Amino acid sequence: MPEVRIERLAKRFGTTVAVDEVSFTVENGSLAVLLGPSGCGKSTTLRLVAGLETASGGRILVDGRDVTGLPPPARGLAMVFQSYALFPHLDVARNITFGLEVRRVPKAERAARLREAAALLGLEGLLHRKPSELSGGQQQRVALARAIVAQARLCLMDEPLSNLDAKLRQEMRKEIRELQRRLGMTMLYVTHDQVEAMTMADRIVLLKDGRVEQVGTPAELYAKPATLFAAAFLGTPPMSLLALEDGPEGAVVAGSDVCVLPGRPGRGRVLGLRPESVRLAREGGHRAVIESVEFLGADSHLACRIGRERLLVRASGHLDLSTGAEIGLAWPESAVHLFDAGSGRRLEVV
Amino acid sequence: MERSIQAIYGWLLALPACLLLAAFTHWPALASFLDSFWSTPKGRRPSQFVGLDHYRRMLVDDPIFLQVIWNNLLYALITVPTSILLALAMALLVNERIRARGLVRLAYFTPTVLPMVAAANIWLFFYTPGYGLLNQILTAFGLPDTNFLGSRDTALWSVMVVTIWKEAGFFMIFYLAALQAIPPVLEEAARLEGASHFVYLRRVALPLLMPTTLFVLVNALIGAFRVVDHVVAMTQGGPDNASALLLFYIYETAFRFWDTGYAAALTVVLLLVLGSISVAQVRFLDRRIHYR
Amino acid sequence: MRVTRRGFTALGAAAIGGATAIGGTVLGGRPARSTEVKLTFYYPIAVGGPITKIVDGYAKRYSELNPGVVIEPVYTGSYQDTMTKTLTALKGGNPPHLAVLLAVDTFTLYDEDAIVPFDELVSSEADRAWMRSFYPAFLENGAIDGKTWGIPFQRSTPVLYWNKQAFVEAGLDPERPPATWDEQVEFAKKLTKRDAAGNVTQYGIQIPSSGFPYWLFHGLVIQNGGHLMNEAGNEVYFDTPEVIEALQYQVDLARKHGVMAPGIIEWGTTPKDFFERRTAMMWTTTGNLTNVRNNAPFPFGVAMLPARKRRGAPTGGGNLFIFKRANEAERKAALGFVRWLTSPEMAADWCIATGYVATSPAAWETEAMRKYVAEFPPATVARDQLQYAKAELSTHENQRVTKVFNDGLQAALTLAKTPAQAMKDAQAEATRILAPYR
Repeated sequence: MPEVRIERLAKRFGTTVAVDEVSFTVENGSLAVLLGPSGCGKSTTLRLVAGLETASGGRILVDGRDVTGLPPPARGLAMVFQSYALFPHLDVARNITFGLEVRRVPKAERAARLREAAALLGLEGLLHRKPSELSGGQQQRVALARAIVAQARLCLMDEPLSNLDAKLRQEMRKEIRELQRRLGMTMLYVTHDQVEAMTMADRIVLLKDGRVEQVGTPAELYAKPATLFAAAFLGTPPMSLLALEDGPEGAVVAGSDVCVLPGRPGRGRVLGLRPESVRLAREGGHRAVIESVEFLGADSHLACRIGRERLLVRASGHLDLSTGAEIGLAWPESAVHLFDAGSGRRLEVV
Repeated sequence: MERSIQAIYGWLLALPACLLLAAFTHWPALASFLDSFWSTPKGRRPSQFVGLDHYRRMLVDDPIFLQVIWNNLLYALITVPTSILLALAMALLVNERIRARGLVRLAYFTPTVLPMVAAANIWLFFYTPGYGLLNQILTAFGLPDTNFLGSRDTALWSVMVVTIWKEAGFFMIFYLAALQAIPPVLEEAARLEGASHFVYLRRVALPLLMPTTLFVLVNALIGAFRVVDHVVAMTQGGPDNASALLLFYIYETAFRFWDTGYAAALTVVLLLVLGSISVAQVRFLDRRIHYR
Repeated sequence: MRVTRRGFTALGAAAIGGATAIGGTVLGGRPARSTEVKLTFYYPIAVGGPITKIVDGYAKRYSELNPGVVIEPVYTGSYQDTMTKTLTALKGGNPPHLAVLLAVDTFTLYDEDAIVPFDELVSSEADRAWMRSFYPAFLENGAIDGKTWGIPFQRSTPVLYWNKQAFVEAGLDPERPPATWDEQVEFAKKLTKRDAAGNVTQYGIQIPSSGFPYWLFHGLVIQNGGHLMNEAGNEVYFDTPEVIEALQYQVDLARKHGVMAPGIIEWGTTPKDFFERRTAMMWTTTGNLTNVRNNAPFPFGVAMLPARKRRGAPTGGGNLFIFKRANEAERKAALGFVRWLTSPEMAADWCIATGYVATSPAAWETEAMRKYVAEFPPATVARDQLQYAKAELSTHENQRVTKVFNDGLQAALTLAKTPAQAMKDAQAEATRILAPYR
């Protein structure tokens, strides 16, 4: 299984820059997720890797071989499309073996590989149905089977789960991940769903406006978001970001006298706190006003206000607190993320 | 009570369509069938029951009828597949990203917009011996002047060319619409699987165009037995019936010879032809085609 | 069953000639209250010029001269269209009161019991003298059972046009057209020009054969001493030696002598071929006289058709018919209009305006006509040829018999059959069609 290296890849449509000097590496046998909001260039990047679009600049290396100028079939990859792209006039079996037929793989081998793929995805009973006679999940499996049967070294997936309902999506996430591990495939996976990215990826490539915002493992991205965008995009509920101002004793939350970073400047900086790292202080703590309480069963979400800023607190269990009450909040020093408001870059808390 | 009022409503709503269909389709068809067993009434000779005489005459006594049927079969056999293939080729071409695509599409479609008689008149000029465009080209290459519409060998073929020229653009529109209804992702998927553009066309696009092809085929076939305007405008069926088609012969029999009885019998034959095309469509082709 | 038949015919009429059927119904309505007589008058247009305006003018003038009679002219397309519309209106029960239709359609109108003979309409000796005032050749096609069913109105006959300049270039006397078949071939050979590759650039002669080839061909038959049909219109003589020989001559012009374009020669473009010097001589109707006069870029001549055993030409064009459904007063008024329309002065006027041949000797004696002839002498050629002219092909089931004959001619001209075979087949088919009328 190959390693994929993307070097300063660029794509322009007229004057619009869709992909702007993107570089990252997908290690052999790993699953990398291209994550970002819609329009961030993740799908275009994937299509460039697939060869469905022509790059305006940069290189794509698969196992050290430059494939940038090669036509799609020469790149040795398979792809699963968001709409599955099943051929509506062919039954499941012929859909799966379409590529094998085109490549003139002998009939016996075709049958064997079909059996294998069908078994792997539990499609044995459906081989003679037309796609229109299948459920969304089944169609998804057929698309996966078609990708697997090709025995391609690299598998690309373009939002493969976005047409499924929530429950099925969760199942398929696991299944795809297992499949990828079992077969040792190198996989490049596009999604806008950060939960999908967090649960599946070995590495996440976070994109915004055609540029790489941050590359890292899910844990790295979660623990040390490199930018305000990364901080806000990952995590459910997301990180609270509070604008800071200079106060007499150090940085205060904008519009309040609550000093959160004693002895340090506040102007032009943003404080980041994950809801789960903030706790209610029995006494003392930073003063905040409760704006709303949401009880979710295992835990409750408290929306609190400090000065002009809001932050979210995740507390376990049911809390007997009412809107408008004043409480104290506390968090460990290690939970503090600090960003430059102008550039959005992470600052070290010194 | 409620139900019967509903039923009356229903019938009232359907009434205009029923009346029109009955008056202009069903009754004339039935009347033609009945008339085909009677001789043509004339001012000085009232109509007589002649049984199957008209039908016997077609098969035994009327070489023109047999020639007209043969002409029409040949006409259908040539124009239908040719115009369909041409339409498909043109649709595939203008579906690609080519330069001045809009203009090319317009150019292909223009013949369709023209009335058949206008189209026939344009071609009449192309075919004119001596001055016609085609003959000017022929003579420019030192080839002899050809009388396309005036010669038995070329008259029917010349009429066919006009039909193909006109129909292909029309059918192209259907193919173009169908092609654009095929998600582009299917071609991308096929390409990734190693299929060339040609393989994609053969194994994916063409099968998906089959419903369109069926629709176009039936229309073209029916059209081949129903179109008459250009024959009237260009050759009047001549020379010596070389380019006469069935409907033209019916028209001639009914409204030039005023032999309405025989014309009714010929009309019954035409209705049988059109009916069997429709039945064949439903019975045979429909089942073998994938509809989305 | 009777009702069924009428119903079908009316429906068929609605489908094909819809607008006319309605027009016929509206215009054909008979006024019941006033003493005013309204006459519907169908007429076709077959030649160039502002015909509608002329006919409308005639109708208006007649109404002014004859208060109480209103003529309503209805332009009904070509001859073919006019016949279709007339018969459709007839079967719908509302024929026009009068119409101009092809003289050769007389038998069809007669068989449909649509028209009345003029012999039954005339009363005075003056009326009877009027009926005798026309050239006899023009009356032939309108006669059945010894009665006159149609009065000649817009009549024509074919003549030969020649390019004098081409004659000079070929070393021929530009003032002497061919007078015989042999001369015609001989002259045509001299007039045919070929380019280096052997392709013909100028043919010697053109006898058009599209649409209604029988008409010009009939000229050859008469010249060869034959005729195509009997007066009763129930017998044809297509396979007689005179006819076959005439056909062989026409085929040979193209195939043996190479002086005429092979295949079917288009009627419509023949004058243009003449103007553009693609042919040095042509046979066509006198109706083209004005056209040639206005468009030929070289001096040209007009001559009678050449002779073999004799001179000869068919007549052509349209007659006036009065329909049977008209009542006594309407018939009388219609006769009055027909008499006025064919009077020498009006016939001369119509001739000058359209190029048709004036239908009576008296018309040629009018002041206007003398002046016209003085200015344009070729106008008299058609008149002088009338003494040799015969009725054109017209039988019962005329359209069908004519079609059979045309098909036969075209089969021979395109070499699908020999002239003898083509004429034998046509004779057999026509005889079969005419069987019920004998």
